Amino acid sequence: MDRRQFFTCSTSGMALLFITGATAVGALVRFLYPGVYDEPPQRLKIGYPGDFAFGPTFLAEEKIYVFRDDTKGFSAASAVCPHLGCTVQYVGNDRQFSCPCHGSVFDATGKALYGPASRPLEWLEVTLAKDGQLQVDGGRKVPDSYSLRVQASS
Amino acid sequence: MIKEIYRSVFRGDPVSTDKGKTELVFYNLWLHIHPAKVRKEHLKLHHTWYLGFIAFYLLVILCVTGVALMFYYHPHTTVAYKDMKDLTYVVFLGQFLRNMHRWAAHGMIIVVFLHLCRVFFTASYKTPRQFNWVIGVFLFLLTMGLSFTGYLLPWDQLAYWAITVGTNIASYVPIVGSEVRLLLLGGHIIGDQALLRFYVLHVLLLPGLLIALTMVHLWRVHKDGGLSRPLWKLDGGADATREIAMPAGQEKTYGLMQIITGKPIFEMLTPAEEADTVFSYPYAFYREGVAFLLTMASVMAISLFWNAPLEALANPAKTPNPAKAPWYFLGLQEVVSYSAIIGGVIVPALLVMALLAIPYIDRNPSRRLKDRRLIITAFTLLVIANIVLIIIGTYFRGEGWSWVWPWMDRAGGGH
Repeated sequence: MDRRQFFTCSTSGMALLFITGATAVGALVRFLYPGVYDEPPQRLKIGYPGDFAFGPTFLAEEKIYVFRDDTKGFSAASAVCPHLGCTVQYVGNDRQFSCPCHGSVFDATGKALYGPASRPLEWLEVTLAKDGQLQVDGGRKVPDSYSLRVQASS
Repeated sequence: MIKEIYRSVFRGDPVSTDKGKTELVFYNLWLHIHPAKVRKEHLKLHHTWYLGFIAFYLLVILCVTGVALMFYYHPHTTVAYKDMKDLTYVVFLGQFLRNMHRWAAHGMIIVVFLHLCRVFFTASYKTPRQFNWVIGVFLFLLTMGLSFTGYLLPWDQLAYWAITVGTNIASYVPIVGSEVRLLLLGGHIIGDQALLRFYVLHVLLLPGLLIALTMVHLWRVHKDGGLSRPLWKLDGGADATREIAMPAGQEKTYGLMQIITGKPIFEMLTPAEEADTVFSYPYAFYREGVAFLLTMASVMAISLFWNAPLEALANPAKTPNPAKAPWYFLGLQEVVSYSAIIGGVIVPALLVMALLAIPYIDRNPSRRLKDRRLIITAFTLLVIANIVLIIIGTYFRGEGWSWVWPWMDRAGGGH
């Protein structure tokens, strides 16, 4: 084997080794992504408009605050703190959200007032389902000015 | 007959002879990580404080109690908490074994950290042990990782919210953060997939990695001349400030590597130094046995009097107030309460990189404290800052992470 052959063989060998290794690592990482997520759907029916009292209603399971206003209608805010995922609490007297984990405070529109959270709370799209129930879509973010006007029975 | 069986198991000469003491070490799989003879200085408590041994013994306790707990634990959200209750109230010795596992885990973090500090202050990371320091830093990180992954398994409020905060911190890592969180949790929420993944990491992958690296760590200590010792005190003089390989005496048998390369890759003993050594059996083994017994007794005593915490069943709808990370992460959580990216990503990344780089950026050949004032001061300040932040996070933070005085009534508490 002369020098040219040696370099050709060794370079090819190393390239093959690298490609095999990279493919194996890539396949392993891909394997770790579940094919199906066994998680609750993001679009949820939360009840009929008449079921909600005026003011805020906290849906604990869904981590959503639903607000009913007699002029604006219905709006929904995610109760998940954008800082590190704790559940914020709405303090009605102050019209503010506060996070128990690191003390972030948000105003009624979800804007971060102080604390470590740099992003506002997320507002979620509220629509009316065919059966007349309110429907919140956790995957569809809307501006804080968004609301759904509904002719409610009560 | 009995003697024949004994001789088939212990094949060396009787340990009453020097040859037997040597063979006891060389012919034994478990003991041959030791040298046949150790320096008297290695046996003394001061300098090493046996912290490496204690960390290893705590690892043994954790492995044994962890395997015992696995007999009763299912990594599924519907039964994990019930299993913890069963262990606490139904299973014979269940609470005690769980206590031992939890307190040994906390103890291991403390001891590994103290070991790291000891190695730093005695400058034992210098030539030829630079890379062993790097392995040690990874062992420290693995210890933290094991403790963190174990935190979720009881599936109580403490577990759920500590992991919520911890994995959200991971998502702040630029570019790959959210993908790392997704892979870690096996989904977008902390549920069955997350519990299963943390379980596999906790009982298989991380311990396997930890044990493998521990073996390399111990092997390199052995090859680098045994335990660290205060050379500047023993030998005096400027030449003794570094741990250097010494040429062997003419009458000694050379190591194979020395025959091949002409250079000893590990420390050789001069005849004068040889006189300052004793056989590992019984001197070193007895001391290690005492250290193990004291470690075991301490963990058992603590486990008898203090139960490992178990809070209410994990409730994703209700965040405890305050929600605190495990105590060893409270320093970072304190910084995170000002900025997630700084406390959760930048500070830890810089700290780890600085720790890994220490042996390569510290070019000062001296191991004396008085010659290393700058680096000693910097390291000490970092350690003190971390301890102060942990104390603040543990005792001075109340509802909504507001400042409280520990002697005043407050809701919630540290973990």
